[in-house]
Amino acid sequence: MNKIIRNIFVALTGLFIAFLFIAVSENTTMSFVDSDEDCYACHEDKDLTADVNGKKVSMFIDKNKVNASAHAGVECRDCHQNYNPDEVPHTKTKTNVNCQSCHDDLKGITESVHGKVECSSCHKPHEIKTVKQMKEAGSGECLDCHKTKGVRQFVNSIHDKKGLECESCHKGGHGVANLTNKDVPSLCGKCHSQNKMALANSVHNTTLSQSNTKGPTCSDCHGVHGILTSKISIESEGCLNCHLDEKKFPGEEKGSAKFVAQYRTSVHASITKNDVEAAGCVDCHGDHMVQNADNPQAATIRARQMETCGKCHSDVVSEFKISKHGQELANGNKDAPTCSDCHGEHDIKTTFSNDEFSKINLVDKCLSCHKDGKIKHKNYNGEEELISGYKESQHYKALQKGNLDAPTCSNCHGAHEMKSASEVDSKISKRNLEKTCGESGCHSDQLKEYIGSVHEVAITRDGNKDSPTCNDCHGNHVISKKVIDDKLEQSKAVIKLCSNCHASTEIVDRNDLPTKVAESYKESFHGLATRSGLQEAANCESCHGNHNIRPSTDSTSTIFKTNLPQTCGNCHPGATEAFFTTKIHIEDARKDSPIVYIVTVFYMAMIIGLIGFMVLHNILDYRRKTQLKKADGS
Amino acid sequence: MEAEEKYLRMTKSERIQHFLLLSSFMVLIVTGFALKFPEAWWVKMISAVIGEYAFEARGIVHRVASVVMIVASIYHLYYISMTQRGRQLVKDFFPSLRDITEFKDSMLYLVGRKSDRPLYGRFSYIEKMEYWAVVWGTVIMGATGFILWFKDFFFRIVGNVGMDIATAIHYYEAILASLAILVWHLYFVFVNPDVRPMNKAWLSGYLTKEEMEKEHPLELQKIEEESVAEEKKMKSEL
Repeated sequence: MNKIIRNIFVALTGLFIAFLFIAVSENTTMSFVDSDEDCYACHEDKDLTADVNGKKVSMFIDKNKVNASAHAGVECRDCHQNYNPDEVPHTKTKTNVNCQSCHDDLKGITESVHGKVECSSCHKPHEIKTVKQMKEAGSGECLDCHKTKGVRQFVNSIHDKKGLECESCHKGGHGVANLTNKDVPSLCGKCHSQNKMALANSVHNTTLSQSNTKGPTCSDCHGVHGILTSKISIESEGCLNCHLDEKKFPGEEKGSAKFVAQYRTSVHASITKNDVEAAGCVDCHGDHMVQNADNPQAATIRARQMETCGKCHSDVVSEFKISKHGQELANGNKDAPTCSDCHGEHDIKTTFSNDEFSKINLVDKCLSCHKDGKIKHKNYNGEEELISGYKESQHYKALQKGNLDAPTCSNCHGAHEMKSASEVDSKISKRNLEKTCGESGCHSDQLKEYIGSVHEVAITRDGNKDSPTCNDCHGNHVISKKVIDDKLEQSKAVIKLCSNCHASTEIVDRNDLPTKVAESYKESFHGLATRSGLQEAANCESCHGNHNIRPSTDSTSTIFKTNLPQTCGNCHPGATEAFFTTKIHIEDARKDSPIVYIVTVFYMAMIIGLIGFMVLHNILDYRRKTQLKKADGS
Repeated sequence: MEAEEKYLRMTKSERIQHFLLLSSFMVLIVTGFALKFPEAWWVKMISAVIGEYAFEARGIVHRVASVVMIVASIYHLYYISMTQRGRQLVKDFFPSLRDITEFKDSMLYLVGRKSDRPLYGRFSYIEKMEYWAVVWGTVIMGATGFILWFKDFFFRIVGNVGMDIATAIHYYEAILASLAILVWHLYFVFVNPDVRPMNKAWLSGYLTKEEMEKEHPLELQKIEEESVAEEKKMKSEL
C-alpha cells in the first residue's frame, strides 16, 4: 500500500515540476524547433525519461545511431511535425509519424497483411533500417511481433538452419501475405521440385485442387513453421491426424477412419526400431505420391504389393514371386492372392501372434479360395473334396484335439513358396515328400522302413514317377487312419490300393512289373476268403509289409525265400518249416509251376473231352429212344 | 400181373449208401463252389441268409460233408469186401472186354448205323464208368481235400508247390465230377425216356419189368432163367 501511495506521490511531484516548467515557458513566446540540435539538447540525455501510460520510458535518442541509419540527414522535424519544444509532451494533439509523406511509393503496403502495422514496427523508429539491413538482420524482426508458439517453431527448424527466412515463403518487403493451402505446393516446390511433382499426381493434390480448398497440402504433413522431417512425426502429426478423424472419414468401409485405426493394432505399429514404427503409413503408401488404394498407380494395389512389401520383406517376397500364387498374380490373374489377402491390410499381425494364422485357422484361410470349385485343379476338375477333404484328415482331427505337431497347409506346401507337388524342389514333390513327412518328427519310424523299399528306391534312384510315396497310399489331403475296427474293410482297402497300380496294365507295362499279382491273389485262398468276407485272411500287406516293401531278391525282404516261412508263420504255425519251390503269384503256370500247368491242361482236356462226349451221348440217346417209343406207339 | 413185377435193383443198405453219397456230394458242391465264386448271386444269397459267419460256416459244413462222404466210402469198402452181395456188386462193376463191344455197338446204334441196341447186363458201360468215376473222384477229392484241410501240417511236407497242385486238382476235379453227375447221371435217372419221369430205384430199390427189359435185358433174362420159384419166393419176401 505504501508503495502505491509513494508512486502516486512521485508522479504528482513530477507533474508539479512539469507544470512549473510549462508555466515558466508560457511566459516566453511560442517557438518551433529550428534544428536537430534543439532536440538533442534534451534527448541526448541518457537519463531523460517520460511517463507513457504510467510507464517510465527512456526518451534518449542516440544521435550517432540516427546519423548512421538510413535516415542520416533527415531532420527530426521531418517526421515529428507540429512538435513544440517548450511544451512537454511536445504535442497535445498527437500526430502520428507519417512515413508516406516522403515514402509515397509504398501503395501496396496498405493491401498487405501488414497494412495496419506501423512502419516503425519493422523498420524501427530512429535507427531506421534499410531493406538491406533488414535482410541482414533476418527473421528476428518478424518474430518480435509473431510470438505465437507455432511461429516460434521456425527457430531451429530445418528451414531456419538452412538459412531460410520468413520472407522465403511469405514474400518479402511490403507484400507480405498469408498463404492458403493451394499456394503451398508451388511455394515449397520452388526448392522441393521433385516432391512437388510427385505430390501433383497424388490423391491429396486431387482433393486439394478439385474439391476441397482446405485439402491436404505440404504443411498439413510437414507442419507450418517447425518443418518436420522425421517419419514418425509426419505420420502421427500428418497422416493420422486426418485419417483417424471419423468426421472426415466416416463409416467402416475401406478408407474409413476405423479402417485406418486398425493400424494401431498391427505389428507394423507395435514393433519399433529406434522408437520408430517398423513400418508406417508412408512405407507402404508412399509419401508425396500417395494414391487411393484402388488407383493402378498406388503402391498398395494388389499387383504391386510384392514390390511394396518386398522393400522390407525381401526374403519372403522372392519366395512368393516364384510360387504359383506369385506367378498367377504376375500373369494378371485376379483370383491369385497377394500379400494383403492373407495378411490383411492395416491390421497386419505376425503369424505367431495372429490367431488367423494358427495352424487350425490357416486351413480356413486357404480354403476360403480352395473350395467350392472356385479354383480349377489341373488334375481334379471340380472335385473340391481334394483339398477341402483335409478337414476329414487325421491331421486336421489331431489339430482339433490340440496336437500342435499335426501339419496344416503350410507345413507341406510352404507358406510363401506355396509350391505344387509337380515342382521338383517342392516339399511335396515325389522325391521330397518322404522327407517332409518322415523328418517332421512324427513319422520317422515309417521313413526308416520306407527308405530302401522297392518303392523308395525307384523314386530316388530311378526318378520313377509311378512309384508310390507317402501320399499315393495315404492320400493327399484326406490322410486317413487305418480302419482298425473293421479288419475286412481295411483288408479290402489295402487290396484296392495296391491294385490301383499293380492291376493297371498301363503302369504294369510301363514299369515292367509282374502282371498277375492282383489276379493271382484274387484267385488264391487268401483272396477268395477276403472276397467272401473273412476278417482275418491275408492281404497284400500281410506278406509284403507296408512301408518296407522289398523285392523277393532282397535278403531283408519279408518275401525273401528264407524269410517266407517266418512271414507265413505269422498266420500258419506249420509254415515255419515250410519250403517254397515255386512262385506265390504265378504268372505263367507253364514256367512258374509246371506241375500245376500239367494238372490244368489234363483236367481241361478231361472236362472238354469227357463232358463233351457225355452231352453228345445224351443227345443221341434221347433221340434214339424217342424214335423207338414212337415206333412202339404206332 | 406181369406189368407189376418188380426186380430188386438196390438193397436198403445200398440205397442208404447212395443217399449218403448224394447228399454229401451236393453239400460239397454248394459249399465248395461258394468259396471259388464268392460274388455269385446264389453265394451272396446264402451268405445273406446265414449272416456274419457265413464263410466260416461254409468251411465247417464242407468238412462235415466230406467226413460223411468218407465214412460212407469206408463203409462201402467194407460192404464190397465183406458181404456176399457187395462182392458180387463190385464183380459186376468190373470192366470186361464185353464192355468194349457193347460200347462200340452202342455208338453205332446211337449214330444210326445199327438198328438194335446192344443188350446190357446188370451194369452197362455207362454205369460202370459212373461207378469208377465216383471211386476215382472220391479218392482224388478226399486226398487233396485232406491236404488242404490240414494245410499247416502238409505245408511242411509238400511245400508251396504241393499246396498249389492240391488246390488245382481239388478245383478241376470238382468241376469234372459235378458236370459228370449233372450231365450223365441226372440224365439217365430223370430225363432218359425209358424211365421218365424218374428211375425210382434209388428210392424204392426196385425196377419194373419194362425198365428191366429196356435197360438191363440180359440181367432180366438171367433172372428169368433162374428158377421161377426162387423168383416168386423173393417176391413174397417183400
